[in-house]
Amino acid sequence: MSKIDAKVVLLGKAHVGKTCLVNRYIRGTFDSTVPYQNTIGAAFGSKKETVNGKSIILGIWDTAGHERYESMVKLYYRGAMAAILCFDLTDKTSFDRVRFWAGELRQMEKGCKLFLCGTKKDLVDYDAYKREITVKTAKPLADDLQAALFETSSKSGENIEQLFQSVAKYCLQKTEEDERKQHGEEDRIRLGREKSYLLNRRCIRIPKCL
Amino acid sequence: MTTAKKIVKKIHVEESDLLCKNGCGYYGNVAWQGFCSKCYREVYQNAKQAQMEHDAAREGKLQQKPVGLDVVVPLFSKFEEKKTQQTNKRSHTVRSIFRKTSSKDVQSDQAPVRKEPYQVNVETQQARSELMESLKQLKRPASQDFIKCTQSIIERLFQCSDQGNSGQEMSEHTQDFYQGMVERMSTNLLYKEVSAELSETLLDRAEKFMMVKMYGSTFCPPTTDDEQKDLKIQTQIRNLHWVTAQQLDTPINEQDPQVRNLVDQAITEIIEMNSKKAPQDKLSSIVQCSKNIFEMLQLSKSGPTNADDFLPALIYIVLKANPPLLQSNIQYITRFSNPMRLMSGEAGYFFTNLCCAVAFIENITAESLSLSQEEFDRYMSGEALPPHAGNKYMCEGLRLMYENLKTFAELQLRQEKVMSEALQLQQDMKEFKESFKREVQNVLQRTPLIIKPRKMKVQIDADSDILEELPPPLLPQLVVAQTVAIADGNLVQNDG
Repeated sequence: MSKIDAKVVLLGKAHVGKTCLVNRYIRGTFDSTVPYQNTIGAAFGSKKETVNGKSIILGIWDTAGHERYESMVKLYYRGAMAAILCFDLTDKTSFDRVRFWAGELRQMEKGCKLFLCGTKKDLVDYDAYKREITVKTAKPLADDLQAALFETSSKSGENIEQLFQSVAKYCLQKTEEDERKQHGEEDRIRLGREKSYLLNRRCIRIPKCL
Repeated sequence: MTTAKKIVKKIHVEESDLLCKNGCGYYGNVAWQGFCSKCYREVYQNAKQAQMEHDAAREGKLQQKPVGLDVVVPLFSKFEEKKTQQTNKRSHTVRSIFRKTSSKDVQSDQAPVRKEPYQVNVETQQARSELMESLKQLKRPASQDFIKCTQSIIERLFQCSDQGNSGQEMSEHTQDFYQGMVERMSTNLLYKEVSAELSETLLDRAEKFMMVKMYGSTFCPPTTDDEQKDLKIQTQIRNLHWVTAQQLDTPINEQDPQVRNLVDQAITEIIEMNSKKAPQDKLSSIVQCSKNIFEMLQLSKSGPTNADDFLPALIYIVLKANPPLLQSNIQYITRFSNPMRLMSGEAGYFFTNLCCAVAFIENITAESLSLSQEEFDRYMSGEALPPHAGNKYMCEGLRLMYENLKTFAELQLRQEKVMSEALQLQQDMKEFKESFKREVQNVLQRTPLIIKPRKMKVQIDADSDILEELPPPLLPQLVVAQTVAIADGNLVQNDG
């Protein structure tokens, strides 16, 4: 397949900076001075990412973080290739939410790769006392989930590119792996019945849609 | 593999039909109501049951029809398919000969068989011509193959709906078709030269064509409980008519006429979804509605709009709109849309949001509106209305009335202004008249009319005293060269 679309879901407590993260990544902007962002449809963004000369389109699904909509979030992450779990480095409760989402996802979407992302790194860099979540706290969870851990700042743009690059890289790998698996099966069948083009699996598949 | 299974299944079904209903082990016959000749005689030749026999015979005829078709048509089309594949495999010259004949067969045999009884409406026609337009870009064998595949899936769906199969089965067939076509176009040699974009549009248009065509049997099929769900959500939304934007925490500011306008537009869009037929058109209605919501959020809120604002706003719009057959539409899109569309892209995102909104409305509780249980129950039963519910922007009629009143007030002001200006003008005119008169009077006074004595008429010819004083008239003279004539003291010199 020439075009690869990947669905990436952003999860996290309200006000951890999910939307800013998307905006920073998609448009390369962060407005702390101007509260207006004259863009429509800020909840969904897609961007083409290139890894090793292969391109992939990341469709990033922002979700409502408010707890009253929590029960619906499973609709969002259905079929997602990757999920970015966001937490605020200066807010301990947001990290607890991440634990919760991680548990949910492990249970509901086994094929979904997780990425942990601590946001608002600039605040912590500026004033170390504000930090409530240290790498020591976050790392064990990340290891447990086999998830990559990033600390990003949407303000300075730090690590944003790296985060999404690794997401894209993973998605590409996954797609290729899946394809290879599929092809492997196809090859096996083709080898056995190579003599007759008619008996090729693909030809048998057609009448199915007849 | 799968075909083999299908055929076996069909034959198997038929076989059980073929056996005598009595279970005597002999083969039955449709003409004998599924009994073998012996049992049939036993059961039916009885004179008392003559009436029953007549009824059963009629029933038997009805049953007979779909069974016969469902065996013959797919077998035939499969045969056609195999035939073309065989021909495709052969060398070019042979293939071209075979292809022409086979394609003719397909078109003349398949098309009229099933299409006639179904009315071909304008939309189907349009979708069809769009599909054909893009098929023109394909080379012949590929385009024929594509048409065949599309025709066969339609055929299959018709069968399903004839047999009264569940919507689930039809959906599976459709999904298989999408997946099978993607695979086919990426791997089959026929489609080697087809670009990715073209195959995408092709699939898109094929989807549109077949869904528009099959809309009657695929949308809200009677075998599912879509209709009950529709009614349920409709009553639920009706019961929730009192929910305000504030309770949902949306920043929508309905006082702003511009926002109000966008709200109306969004409501129209989401209601319009029901009138569209193809899944992609329905989805585009949702996208349009969502875009309107983003715009209104932008207007009513100073800050970046995001998913946290969007979802409640969408819920609010759905509550206000109460779109017809909402669940049916959602189910239809889920079942029959190309899964790629729902898993990626903004259409998929907004569709998911709509699903979320519906799920929220279905499971709405006092907590989710930040109300106490008691309050919630009272509002739900219609016993009480929340304090803001009565505001003038809640009811369309009242809102219109207030708007009209405002317009009237404005009109009155303008009327008054016009009136006073008219009076002013009248006054001005009067004054002008007066002042004009005065001016004229003044002028008259300043320059009084003095009548001078009349001048006497002069009699030119009359004699008068003055004539005496005048010199005598000139006399004609004879002028001679080099002579000076002196007449009455006047010297006239002639130079010659």
